[in-house]
Amino acid sequence: MGKRAYEASAGLWRSVIGFAGLAALPLIFSDPFLLGLVTLSFLWAAASLAWNLSGGYAGQLSLGHSAFYGIGAYTSTVLFLKAGVSPLLGMWVGAAISAVAAVALGAITMRLKGSFFVMSTLAFGAVVHISANNLREFTGGASGLSIPLQPSLVNLVFASKLTFAYVALALVVTFFLVTRLIAGSKIGYSLVAFRENDSAARALGIRTLPLRIGVFALSAAMTSLCGTLHAQYYLYIDPDSVLSLNLSLNLALMAIVGGLGTAYGPIVGAIIVTTVYFAMQAFLGDQISGLTQLAYATIVIVVLVVVPSGLGPEIGRLLTGRLAWRR
Amino acid sequence: MDIYAQLALSGLFIGGLYALISVGLTLVFGVLRVVNFAHGEYLTIAMFLTYFLFHQFGFDPFLSSILVIPLMFGLGLVTERLLIRPTLEAPHVVQVFVTFALSLWLQNLLLVLFTSDFRTVRTGYATAAFQIGPLYVSWLRLGAFVAAVALTAALAAFLKYTYMGSAIRATAQDRRSARLTGVNVDRVYAVTFALGCALVGAAGVLLSPLFPVNPYTGADMILIAFVIVVLGGMGSIAGATLAGLLIGVVESYSSYFLGGEMKQFVYFLCFMLILAFRPVGFFGRKGAEVMDVT
Repeated sequence: MGKRAYEASAGLWRSVIGFAGLAALPLIFSDPFLLGLVTLSFLWAAASLAWNLSGGYAGQLSLGHSAFYGIGAYTSTVLFLKAGVSPLLGMWVGAAISAVAAVALGAITMRLKGSFFVMSTLAFGAVVHISANNLREFTGGASGLSIPLQPSLVNLVFASKLTFAYVALALVVTFFLVTRLIAGSKIGYSLVAFRENDSAARALGIRTLPLRIGVFALSAAMTSLCGTLHAQYYLYIDPDSVLSLNLSLNLALMAIVGGLGTAYGPIVGAIIVTTVYFAMQAFLGDQISGLTQLAYATIVIVVLVVVPSGLGPEIGRLLTGRLAWRR
Repeated sequence: MDIYAQLALSGLFIGGLYALISVGLTLVFGVLRVVNFAHGEYLTIAMFLTYFLFHQFGFDPFLSSILVIPLMFGLGLVTERLLIRPTLEAPHVVQVFVTFALSLWLQNLLLVLFTSDFRTVRTGYATAAFQIGPLYVSWLRLGAFVAAVALTAALAAFLKYTYMGSAIRATAQDRRSARLTGVNVDRVYAVTFALGCALVGAAGVLLSPLFPVNPYTGADMILIAFVIVVLGGMGSIAGATLAGLLIGVVESYSSYFLGGEMKQFVYFLCFMLILAFRPVGFFGRKGAEVMDVT
């Protein structure tokens, strides 16, 4: 077996073992509190994988992804409540709307450099957030929308929280495969080349604008699907929970903590971040509001300054017992 | 007709303060090429400092600026040394998110220390006003506006007439050439960042008798500052001042005619339009914001 084939099959086996481990988690942690932790980790992992596709590989650091998450949550919920459309169908409508919005936004903002792109997506997220607060006939405004608890597959509402954990895991696996597929293709290499040095990439004749807009739209649609799932899990949505700037920030920060621009990074990051959140809440409660976020921000700052490539690669190195310079 | 003039005047007054907030942000970007997403939190900190000096020691807000501004300058020096300098050569993603995480950190530190209650500095002269023709002018707002304009002018003079000011301008133009001519670029970075914090600190002092403060005050203000900085042209102090006054007036009209909620919607929309059609703003240098499209 050649070295390359060996590496590829080793990578495949590592992924299979990793996902088998993830699949075992909901069975091991069956206590409702811990099952909630596992399920949310999966949901965040999926959303962060979606963000990472555009933010990590293409380097388009969007802080407006909450808009797509919210569009997904609101589209499926409003269609279900007003027209009785199954969320199984509604989630795709939401994804389509998000993709169209992303193409429109991308057409305007994709030529902006670094921080300018960040600020423009920030403004986009804020515009959608304010709109949701004001379009009261559709969104219920700040008081939000509730989904009735009628468990059935068509309603995408499950009596057992365990089922939901596996639905979220299915999304994680799918998004992981999509990421691997794109990262290993010519599109992925073009995006990384552009991210690392845009003028060099251009000099080599790599045209990335359509690719970046396309991947941005795909990432938006995937984020939107996570939004629908969020609505179906909590059975309640309001603008602050599915459209806030903090949500966008979290999707990005999980990918950064885990390892930006890697397929497994967002999963590692989501599990670490969600576990820290739950642990802080369990030990400190909500007595002192802000303490959990303070701890979270501290972790992020330490990771950014000390291990900017993320904890995922570090953990991987630790597990395989290899040092970076030996590779 | 009088209402239009009155709205323009109150917009202009608040615009002067917006300009002071934005000048610090644009200066830091012009020299360090870093957008400080935690800029708003320094405003909040200055407002809290003013509040406590007022309530614990009975310091008048205008008087306490003598203490608050140097403190904010010192805080800026510490931040630059601990977080900004180590990440200046880091990938773009680290630069963006380190100041974002700092913003989150400071916001929640303030939340833990002081809860999310609103606190108000109530001075005896808060409602004092005089009349010119049909216009009512608040002494407090006029004083804050004059102080803000004076500070902006002082900054411009500092940049133009002192050695450090020339060094800052040289570094903003070309950091490599500045280093070659013997400018201590690291010191320029530290002073510039600290100046940015001191300026937004001064704005915080001036805002505190006008607005209540809680840990999220700065985060709300900073979004306005982004709009102003981009509209004026990233890195341009004259641009930020002009855009600050303009946005103040626009906000004053839109909140009167469209209501408080919609005013945010209006300037975000303006923001997207500026970025789409003229991302260099009024006086920005071409090339900082847009890349060749392929």
